[in-house]
Amino acid sequence: MKHRSYLAGVFLAILLVLVLCTGGYAESVRQELAGESTLEKVMRRGVLKVGMSTFVPWAMKDKMGKLIGFEIDVATRLAEDMGVKVEFVPTKWSGIIPALLTGKFDVIIGGMGIRPDRNLKVNFSIPYDYTGMSILANRDLAGGFTSLEDFNRPNVSIAARIGTTAAAAAKKNMPKANLRLFDDESQAVQETLNGRVHAMVASAPLPAFQAIMYPEKLFVPIEGTFTREPIGFAIRKSDVDTLNYLNNWIRVVEAEGWLQERKRYWFETKEWEKQIQ
Amino acid sequence: MSKKKIPITLLDLLIIGGILGIIAFIGYRTTAVVHYKWNWSVIPQYLFRYDPQQERWVTNLLMQGFIMTVKLSIWSTLLSLIVGTVMGLARISSRLFYRMIARTYVEMIRNTPPLVLIFIFYFFFSDQIMTVLGVEDYMRSLSPAAQSFLSFFCAPPGQCSAFFSAVITLVLYEGAYMTEIIRAGIESIERGQWEASASSGLTWRQQMRFVILPQATRRVLPPVAGQLISTIKDSAIVSVVSIQELTFQGLELMAATYRTFEVWLTITLMYFILTFACSLVMRRLEIAFQIEETMATV
Repeated sequence: MKHRSYLAGVFLAILLVLVLCTGGYAESVRQELAGESTLEKVMRRGVLKVGMSTFVPWAMKDKMGKLIGFEIDVATRLAEDMGVKVEFVPTKWSGIIPALLTGKFDVIIGGMGIRPDRNLKVNFSIPYDYTGMSILANRDLAGGFTSLEDFNRPNVSIAARIGTTAAAAAKKNMPKANLRLFDDESQAVQETLNGRVHAMVASAPLPAFQAIMYPEKLFVPIEGTFTREPIGFAIRKSDVDTLNYLNNWIRVVEAEGWLQERKRYWFETKEWEKQIQ
Repeated sequence: MSKKKIPITLLDLLIIGGILGIIAFIGYRTTAVVHYKWNWSVIPQYLFRYDPQQERWVTNLLMQGFIMTVKLSIWSTLLSLIVGTVMGLARISSRLFYRMIARTYVEMIRNTPPLVLIFIFYFFFSDQIMTVLGVEDYMRSLSPAAQSFLSFFCAPPGQCSAFFSAVITLVLYEGAYMTEIIRAGIESIERGQWEASASSGLTWRQQMRFVILPQATRRVLPPVAGQLISTIKDSAIVSVVSIQELTFQGLELMAATYRTFEVWLTITLMYFILTFACSLVMRRLEIAFQIEETMATV
């Protein structure tokens, strides 16, 4: 008797699985795709989860413990326009793509440079910003250095944040130099200050800001930036619906002049600095 | 505990002088050679700040991280004690199957670096489990009261699945060590105790409950205390998967303010206060148990 009821249980379970499977296939594929898009999930949840990493002045915590910065403004406005709440998921830069792929958040809005190798793993929106790499050097070690060639020597060491386009740019432009990678920009700055590396590479305007803070110790050897990189939102692959929305959102806020205005505020003024320290 | 005056010898003075000398040297190096500009005034506001909207003092970044570390530690310790007890009992079971499960668990965890474990759980397991269980959607659908209750004891709804996966990882990690502590504690109880309790007609379960475990508890207290403190310290490792505990908040703050030394020193002090307080409490507990034991034997 006991044996028979067990068999019946297995039979029922198989039947249930079959019903569920065929039911799923009956829906039209297109509807299913749209329903599974990140956009749809966000609207249903009522919360847009944004992956980001602290990166002055893109995203940082102010004195109140609140996140501020260019990316924060962008993400907040995006969520506002979608009619949902925004939730930030501060993530270590080195693990930000795996975290996106495993669904810890919906989109990376964190000054992520569009790069072909990254694009193989994620989809990028059209660029909403451009940035470039700049160098911050130690006065004692790299006193007379004025060009990239000066840094491109085997006895020179360069620091950068792990997994960033800064690290890639350093490797590409100064292949002979000894590249040392750190988890955060602040550690790379500290190494440069301590004189353990000759210089560090980071997205502008960080090097310039640091040089102003420690004028007797640090300087910017090359004026301006030596690369130009498009910055985009990153989402999981093959989600055309979401990508289309993001691209058009960028076009709209760009046409309004809102993006340029925010960019000027965070990158060219230092009005926000009193909010931090 | 007599208050006898302890004479200060020349050696003591030399050691104190040496320590102060090292501190002064490090201070000199960072200021004069590395040109580090000390600015301690920024730190207090990151512990507590006055909120003009709520018109009261509220916790800020570092204190929030500290509280998260406390929550993580409490949950991990409690649950790892349970896992440790269950697995410890399985470890000494007369059934080969239970012994094999417990042994495999202990050896697998003990021979893997915690950092690797954390990544594996966060990126592979937690995602599968949490999504299937619908943890996050469930948390969001809760009433505001339940949500604030949850935020108080665990984490805000948005961070819940990350919090749980961190707790599970820490529990599995610490649980392996707890298992061995508990096993050793039980095995340290003399054969005679088992025989005596068996001859008084107690079943295995009763022997365990009334005779063996109470005695074993006293013996495992010091190593459990050590493990507890190590849990608090190990909780720093989950900062790599963006759990917003003390180390993570400190790193975020450093990335924003570039006050590297001040923040690290503050964090060190905060961890010390927490673990030292635990040491003191556990010491008290040990003494209390010892008194109880002497009373019992008398």
